[in-house]
Amino acid sequence: MQSGGSRMEGLSFLKNEPDKNGAEPGRGLLGWVDRRYQVTPLLEFMRHKQVPLGSHWMGWYYLGGITMFFFIVQVVTGVLLLMYFQPGEATAYESIHFLTTKVPFGWLIRSVHSWSAHLMIISLTLHMFSTMMLKAYRPPRELTWVSGYLLFLITLGFGFSGYLLPWNKLAYFATTVGTNIVRSVPFLGDWLLLVLRGGQDVTINTLYRFFAAHVVILPLAFVGIISLHLLFIQRQGMAPPISAKVAPRGMKFFPSFALRDVLLWLACLMLLVTLAVFLPYGPGIPGMDWELGSKADAMAPAYAGIKPEWYFLWEYQLLKEFPPHLFGLEGPQVCLFLIAILLGIWAIIPWLDRRAARNKPSPAFSDFGWAAILFLVYLTLMGWDIGATGAGNDMSLVQRSARVCAWWTLAAGVVMIAFRSWWFEHRWFVLTGAALLQIALHGLMGISYLLAGAISAGLAIIVIAASYFMTSRPNETGTT
Amino acid sequence: MQEQVHTVSNSTTSRRHFIDLLLGASILGWLASIAYPVIRYLKPLPQTGATGPTRLTREETAKLEQDQFIIVPVSGQRVIVLQSQDQKLLAFSAKCTHEGCTVTYLPGQSVIWCPCHDGRYDLSGRVLSGPPPKPLPEYAVRRQPDGGIVISEERA
Ligand code: FES
Repeated sequence: MQSGGSRMEGLSFLKNEPDKNGAEPGRGLLGWVDRRYQVTPLLEFMRHKQVPLGSHWMGWYYLGGITMFFFIVQVVTGVLLLMYFQPGEATAYESIHFLTTKVPFGWLIRSVHSWSAHLMIISLTLHMFSTMMLKAYRPPRELTWVSGYLLFLITLGFGFSGYLLPWNKLAYFATTVGTNIVRSVPFLGDWLLLVLRGGQDVTINTLYRFFAAHVVILPLAFVGIISLHLLFIQRQGMAPPISAKVAPRGMKFFPSFALRDVLLWLACLMLLVTLAVFLPYGPGIPGMDWELGSKADAMAPAYAGIKPEWYFLWEYQLLKEFPPHLFGLEGPQVCLFLIAILLGIWAIIPWLDRRAARNKPSPAFSDFGWAAILFLVYLTLMGWDIGATGAGNDMSLVQRSARVCAWWTLAAGVVMIAFRSWWFEHRWFVLTGAALLQIALHGLMGISYLLAGAISAGLAIIVIAASYFMTSRPNETGTT
Repeated sequence: MQEQVHTVSNSTTSRRHFIDLLLGASILGWLASIAYPVIRYLKPLPQTGATGPTRLTREETAKLEQDQFIIVPVSGQRVIVLQSQDQKLLAFSAKCTHEGCTVTYLPGQSVIWCPCHDGRYDLSGRVLSGPPPKPLPEYAVRRQPDGGIVISEERA
């Protein structure tokens, strides 16, 4: 089945192999290195490394590599930007302005850095969701999931901290709101806020701290964790498709997969450069726009249409949906608590998904992933839309926006269910159903978002409990 | 004999246990002695700067006349000073009680508005709608005989 070493012709630098008796390593540079550092076993390992081919589309396997490619671009362009950026009250904004207007190709470097950041978040999110859907997190790969999850959080941290550095108005308010959220952390909140901001309010001290985080702390953490992440993958190989009855076929990592990887990286580079050249300040949708604008001014009021970056929009919108007080706590506090729970569940999925751990399909968890997508999409659409345009808006404008977003998300949800039942033969849609019900109740019937959520969650729990009691007696056959 | 061995081993375990405890405690103390300075280092000093009442400059007063509001620092805090439709001067903390954005004044509607999540306050600082959980604290504002406008922290 495996074609041995006959496909190595493409990699000429490996030709200088040790002789077959294994006695004396070869001559040449490789032999020289090998005599000192014994790299042959490593090469042997790489030569036999395989990527499992299975029932699912191979494309999912490339997303991690693409994410890493964008990260490398970030490091390179970041270092270049560092050579002109001067943090400081009178210099941060000015140096970016100088960079984009005077420095030859300064605009391009900044544009590539921004575009690559957004594309990295997109590919990382897709990578995470595909891992989730394919259940690649199941034992023994729990820690690969957790390390990837940490990388995801760090990437969001990169986005958030980098946002402030140009020291413009938009950054100022986005950072004010974003950092203020930590105030809701029980006990430590006030202290955390002070440490994060370097003072009571967002000032230039905040920028210094974010700068340190953005260019030193986060990159170090990222490189450390991604090394672990890659090490895990190298040690364990990629996850085979779930409940594969036959041993999965494989594709050689070297050169077949690696060359495909490189080809894709080239394609990504082309895409990146094209976007960066033709849309140097972003596509101009709110939350994906890096026009410098005017300089931060602590004494200027916030203005209409202030939005965070698109990947924080769902959180921004969720914050809006919370009433001032709930359960005797302040709204934002409860909101933060809810987000922490959701993120916590996401982190420990490998341990929650007992069926996948036994290499069995776990439809409930697939459905959980799809429902999470709907949840995020609906909030993001609402956050995008425009509830806050114009000073003179009234409730009906917000409701109208919610209705439009609800129709879109419902349509997407129906298409999603149809596709899943036809293509993946999924039959379990309780959580997706609950998410859609909440969207319908909120967007179409005008029930408050949280109440709608509580009703749908309650119904979902009842359905799950009922089906559990009905199927647990004949011994878990019905749920697949 | 048997019994003696037993006691010996028992006392060794407890001694070992004690030493472990000591070791653990000193490692903790050692870590704390490293962490403490770092933690203190990271916590910023309290902000210093002008405290007490603030008097608007000529330009600020002109801006207030023109826009019907202005945001100025009072004792290191952002404060919005506004002129209501019946020409009354009012001052509030400009820091939205929701997530701390800087509010603005909509003269046409007599509303203090926070654009960040669409929070609205009336002209006594009370929340009209939106997510802010608390009213805006009010500041005292006085027009002096010479026409100067002074904002101070004590309640109006
Ligand atoms: S910060 Fe003012 S409404 Fe949220």
